[in-house]
Amino acid sequence: MRFDEIDRRRFLLLATAPLLAAQKAVVPHARESLFQMNGYAVNAETPLELLTDYVTPNELFFVRSHWIPRTPDPKKWRLTIDGEVDRTGQLTLSELKKLPLVEITSVLQCAGNGRSLYSPTLPGVQWRYGAVGNARWSGVRVRDVLEHAGVRPTAKHLHVFGSDDPPGKVPPFHRSIEMEKVMADGVLAFAMNGEPLPVAHGAPLRLVVPGWAGDHWMKWVVRLAPQAEPQKGFYMDTGYRYPLAPGAPGVAFKPEEMSPVTELFVKSNITTAPKKAKAGHAYDIRGFAFSGAPDIAKVEISDDDGATWQEAKLDPRHDPYAWRLWSHRWTPSRAGASRLCARATDIRGSVQPREATWNQSGYLHNSWHFVDVEVTS
Amino acid sequence: MKRVLVIALVLAAALASAATKKKASYDPKLPILGTKFQSLPTGEGKDIVEASCFPCHAADMLVQQRLTEKQWTAEVDKMVRWGAVMKESDKPAMVAYLSKNFGLSNKFTPLRTRPAGY
Repeated sequence: MRFDEIDRRRFLLLATAPLLAAQKAVVPHARESLFQMNGYAVNAETPLELLTDYVTPNELFFVRSHWIPRTPDPKKWRLTIDGEVDRTGQLTLSELKKLPLVEITSVLQCAGNGRSLYSPTLPGVQWRYGAVGNARWSGVRVRDVLEHAGVRPTAKHLHVFGSDDPPGKVPPFHRSIEMEKVMADGVLAFAMNGEPLPVAHGAPLRLVVPGWAGDHWMKWVVRLAPQAEPQKGFYMDTGYRYPLAPGAPGVAFKPEEMSPVTELFVKSNITTAPKKAKAGHAYDIRGFAFSGAPDIAKVEISDDDGATWQEAKLDPRHDPYAWRLWSHRWTPSRAGASRLCARATDIRGSVQPREATWNQSGYLHNSWHFVDVEVTS
Repeated sequence: MKRVLVIALVLAAALASAATKKKASYDPKLPILGTKFQSLPTGEGKDIVEASCFPCHAADMLVQQRLTEKQWTAEVDKMVRWGAVMKESDKPAMVAYLSKNFGLSNKFTPLRTRPAGY
């Protein structure tokens, strides 16, 4: 993928000038808020109607936490690197920032976004539509960090550890990710949308894995360990797994019948549509679309339950693995109940399905998104 | 020099205005994220649920679920394996309370909150 190299002076300016950042930030609209899904550990989703900007403001960005983090003191914080490397050791934040700085814009979606929309219902955070956002992530390439440590060719999986270990018998959120993906695209980010990475989003360092689900985007990172084998534990062997082959809704797959969740599925959502409309009048329908592929090829809109489709206009703003905003001028032809829906197709040809594939943990929901509109004459 | 000072003051005022405007757009009556939690309905088993579940998560996690008795039993068993403290003899009352209040027909409205500092 393409990285945008940024010079150190510009980065420092962005990272250390909160007033400037405040000026650049999108001014929120009235009645903005976050839906609290859990007060502690904090989980919150963004109301869908607020996800209308290319870059989601930090304070409106959804929050996913497995456990209450022990936020590291940036002065004492160290990134430990061990495992299959020639030079084990620790890096301070300032040492890390001496590596080439990069900035990417990428969508981040929680693997469980849309879990509440599956039937039969499932336990877990009942995310609806808003555990997703698009942000600019600034940091250093994982590849540069690991090559600096002399990563060995025997390393096939990067084990990642955060400082959010839970107490007692609660399984820690320890993960690993294939080296091929993380060496190609992974970024260790310490800034988000031009501001220092907020604590809720993993300060001082989080892993960014463009195109892959949020379970790989580890927060509060304190240790990287390239290894020959994948990580073991609940969040590798039981959690964050997806069926190898689809089954009927409600079927319980065994762990060996599933593999880890990786790429996002192609998906679009409608963020802006009228609740009531008049036949013959035109209305702007808006939304966003994204995929595990680097870009979206098209978004189509239907108002007749998918019998016919009209192509929406894609916004020109785009970065690889970022979302595409889209818009469509819709003119209802007759009075009555109308159902709008959107479906996206990515550049690899994957088409958003009418029904998401049911899976027992409720991951990667991507059914067509329907919005009801009452049309009068 | 004077002109530079005036420009700097105007710029500072504009920046301060932008920052103030941003903060003012959130309803100050909304609770800050993570400072107020949902409450559980009264009923037999509520005290047991609060004592066992609240050390690790807010009631929010419970009141949003729509699970069958079988699913609730599996969830309670999982939480016990993960360290939830409860007497085995309390499990039937806990499962009954959760199934009755947060079964398949449960309706959930999340708390609207504002981010800290805004």
